[in-house]
Amino acid sequence: MKNRKLNEKYTDKELAESFVFRDDLSAEEKKQSDADLREIRNNLRSKVTPKQMLLSRLLQLKYQIEDYLKNPNYDAERSFGFFLRSYLDALEIKHKDFASDISINETELSQILNKHRNPSEKIIIRLEIHSNKIIPAITWFRLLEKQREYEIMTDNSLRIRERDRVSNILKVS
Amino acid sequence: MHLIDTKTNKRYEVVVDIVDEQDFKQITKSKFFFNWKEEKKNIIYKLMLDDEILGLMSCFDNEGDKRIEIKLLSVSKENRGQNKRYERIAGTLIGYACREATKRYGIEGCVSLVPKTQLKHHYIQQYGMMDAGKQVFLEGEQLLRMLKEYEL
Repeated sequence: MKNRKLNEKYTDKELAESFVFRDDLSAEEKKQSDADLREIRNNLRSKVTPKQMLLSRLLQLKYQIEDYLKNPNYDAERSFGFFLRSYLDALEIKHKDFASDISINETELSQILNKHRNPSEKIIIRLEIHSNKIIPAITWFRLLEKQREYEIMTDNSLRIRERDRVSNILKVS
Repeated sequence: MHLIDTKTNKRYEVVVDIVDEQDFKQITKSKFFFNWKEEKKNIIYKLMLDDEILGLMSCFDNEGDKRIEIKLLSVSKENRGQNKRYERIAGTLIGYACREATKRYGIEGCVSLVPKTQLKHHYIQQYGMMDAGKQVFLEGEQLLRMLKEYEL
């Protein structure tokens, strides 16, 4: 009844631009239709080009980073180095070759991957350029900032060390 | 992700997020046509411009098939038909389903829906969906094209 009203009010094109309706397939029909879809998809899979495969891997990584950034919780495992390693895995590139691509030495790359060193802004920009802007510099930068934010909030040994370098501490609380 | 104001052609940045319990206060049947509370068993996404919800999409993640099924979608009442305020609401939501499929399943990810027979041709034409009989779907090149078109 309600759908009939919509059909009177809108053209089919307008309906397709505004709705996806609940399907009215029986369980058996849905099962058969899923099997048909599976078969068509299997046949299509061989047509994926290496270029599409690479683009998809890079986008997958970008979305995973974006979702991690959106999550308010910090996960020590998911460091800048962790995601950079995933980037290299997606490209299936040797560390030596990638270091050369972005004009840094292999040791520096290894230190970044293993969280012994933070990347400079220049390196972050080079990462954006290397991915042809698929993963923008701001995404890498925010990842680093999330890590830094956590470190500054939780680094008590640094607080103890620096306390001796501050005098006239305000007596308000 | 952006919408276009049909009167001024101005672009507006939008976000897509998961609906929470509070949102149901502004999700009414008169505005979004369906009873969206019935979709709580699925993931419901909302498309927002500032604090206003302009579109909703209910999805089921079929992990075995590496496929996101769009179960229900509606744009808000004032954004339907020839007098709509903004363009690209439904496309952006479908594009977001493509994003989720890629995030979870990479190149093997797929987005599908069961269309009403008379609308099938329009989903194919409008969003580049492929015909699988009772269902239409996006995968591979067509899915990547949606991600590009909707800036995801």
